[in-house]
Amino acid sequence: MTDLESYRAKAAAWCESMVPFFGKAARKGLSVEEDLALGRRYQKAKFDAGYAGINWPTDLAGQGLGHIEKITFEGEEMKHGFPNVYFGISLGMPVPVLMQFGGDREFVKERVLKALQGEEIWCQLFSEPSAGTDLAGLRTRAETDGNGWKINGQKVWTSWAQYSDYGVIVVRTDPTVAKHKGLTYFWVDMKAPGVTVRPIKLAGGDSHVNEVFFDDVKISDDHRMSPVGGGFAVALATLMIERYVATDSAGFGPHLDLFVELAKEVQLNGRPAIEDGRIRQQIARNHAMRAGLDSINMRARLMMQAGMTPGPEGSLNKLVAVRSRQKLSELALDLQGTDGFAFDERTSPKDDWASSWINAPTGRIAGGSDETLLNTIAERILGLPQDHRPDKGVPFNQIPA
Amino acid sequence: MSILYDEGQLAIATESRRALEARVSKDDLLPLLQTSGQYHDGFWMTAKEQGWTALALPETYGGLDLGIVELGLIAHQAGRTLSGAPFLTSSFGAAKAIELYGSDEQKARWLPGLASGETIGAIAFASGPDALPAAPAATWKAGQVEGTAPSVSGGLFADVAILFAQDGGARALVIVDLDGIERKAIDSFDNSRCIADLLFAGASAEPLVTGEAARAAALHILALQAVVTAHEQTGGAEALMEIARDYALTRKAFGQPIGAFQSIKHRIAELYGLVELARANAIHAAAREGEDDFVTAAAAARLSATEAYDTAARDCIQIHGGIGVTWEIGLHLHMRRSRTLALEQGSSFFWEDMLVDRLAGETT
Repeated sequence: MTDLESYRAKAAAWCESMVPFFGKAARKGLSVEEDLALGRRYQKAKFDAGYAGINWPTDLAGQGLGHIEKITFEGEEMKHGFPNVYFGISLGMPVPVLMQFGGDREFVKERVLKALQGEEIWCQLFSEPSAGTDLAGLRTRAETDGNGWKINGQKVWTSWAQYSDYGVIVVRTDPTVAKHKGLTYFWVDMKAPGVTVRPIKLAGGDSHVNEVFFDDVKISDDHRMSPVGGGFAVALATLMIERYVATDSAGFGPHLDLFVELAKEVQLNGRPAIEDGRIRQQIARNHAMRAGLDSINMRARLMMQAGMTPGPEGSLNKLVAVRSRQKLSELALDLQGTDGFAFDERTSPKDDWASSWINAPTGRIAGGSDETLLNTIAERILGLPQDHRPDKGVPFNQIPA
Repeated sequence: MSILYDEGQLAIATESRRALEARVSKDDLLPLLQTSGQYHDGFWMTAKEQGWTALALPETYGGLDLGIVELGLIAHQAGRTLSGAPFLTSSFGAAKAIELYGSDEQKARWLPGLASGETIGAIAFASGPDALPAAPAATWKAGQVEGTAPSVSGGLFADVAILFAQDGGARALVIVDLDGIERKAIDSFDNSRCIADLLFAGASAEPLVTGEAARAAALHILALQAVVTAHEQTGGAEALMEIARDYALTRKAFGQPIGAFQSIKHRIAELYGLVELARANAIHAAAREGEDDFVTAAAAARLSATEAYDTAARDCIQIHGGIGVTWEIGLHLHMRRSRTLALEQGSSFFWEDMLVDRLAGETT
């Protein structure tokens, strides 16, 4: 066994041993608050077992291992449906950015430790009502206030803000220059006076995203994580941190095996649906798509193991997998006919076709819409021109609203 | 396990690309469309000189002892430049059938010629939409074959065919020496494939596999060929994606390159996705030869490669507008080839069924 294989085997065994305490059965029927509490205990268990901060430096309480070990563990972990979703953003982007750009190292060290142990959660305050894909168009402003700053404005779609202790935020500090040049990056205390968090109920019924309002929120200058006017570069760095996470060719929906099982059980025109050409074609196409993504991901892992940089094709995963999941989920409802009406919004999109279907649009929008991803592929990988941008080079305060 | 190419394999890719780009051009290929029964001699000479015919065959019989990973790399390049004859895949299939299922005498008789390229092989399994028919049109009995093998790619010039024939109530895989066999050339939309009906009329044939095992053996040969073809299709799709990209960067309309319009750039980005999925599946399938899931992997490779090449042919021409449909520009060469390769080695319907049978655990 190679070192990595034995690492995987140990990780798999540990995950298996956690199932009775944190698996799907243990989570069944819990309220979100109860599930979060269970999640904090799970995160602590991960930390104690050496599976938190796997590729983070040891002087910041990490394990000092490589990216490959991290995604190897995550590949095992994702098989079990553990309550880790509350920490995904926190440990995925804001905390690594704090590690990289945070000035006060003692403060950084303390926050990283608490985040790794599940005691504290960080959110990422980027999108706004009028700035989603066009992040640099954001309007929340920070003005100087004595030696510090005063923040006013609104963020939106902030995942887990209602449970967060801290957040990283991009704000406008100079409206008189071109839009991406007037931004600055800070961290904020989510419990500070003037911060109001209001959950948004999504179409599928859950409320993990929020509106966050800033009303004269005062912060000192040591919260600043970029040069004044240099916030856009740090924001981009945040988004680039984890280009290769453990990906899921099911698009975070059900495994194809579940569809095959359904097609074997259900009858169409008096015979099993698995014998129907329309169904067979969709199964075959979906499998071919997933197999391609799996092979791309496997190749990326092997390249990382060999010390090489994986190719840009890894960026296809979300684009291809989530929209395929959406179609397959529709088809699964078709297969069930009127039996497909039954719906329990507490079921997981990974286990239930209706839940997968109703939550699929979120997947095609969050973290880069299909259209944005296609633009990125066209421009960054294929060298095609940017879209026409009438606001290019125009001072922010002169762009027509 | 998906693989990473090593340096030797990457050198094969580079060298074959160089050789093909120097020897094969659309100006050579266009006239072949309007002739009957001619292939591109420069392509086939190159294949022989470069040792591609020997690549995946055993050293004992003049081969180079490499496999479908390496042959796939050549096929990918042949797909990019458009191969001028179908023999690289057809001879490979025939040679593998003889290598895997033939006697020592049969191997000694056929493999050296197939390895050098002096002998051309063909695979005669299909009958219309049926890649492995339950009742093949040709019948093998007492060492002789009767009937016809319809529309065999390379059939016009092949010296030896591997035939899937009826054998009483069962099927058999047999070798037919095609010397003196009557062939009826089929004019097709892609004439350099040298497609012909083979009219056997009592030709002598030797058995390779008979009884229950014949179908599985034929399927294995088909899957090997399918993986090679999937690489060729991926190469064609990749070339078309690049041609479309380059055209979108240079052609201007309304004061900007047409590639700045999302209707164009997204179309090309979608092609990129199809090409990368096809490539990943092809590489994966080549690495699964000899494993239990080889047919599953080959089927996935074949389906995504066919989708990629068909879509790329459609969209690349569309992006070019009027110039795209002219004879001169030659994009129709790829359009023709994309459909030819979709039909050879079993259509998408066939591979969808192979795949779902396996996913549903109902393999026969």
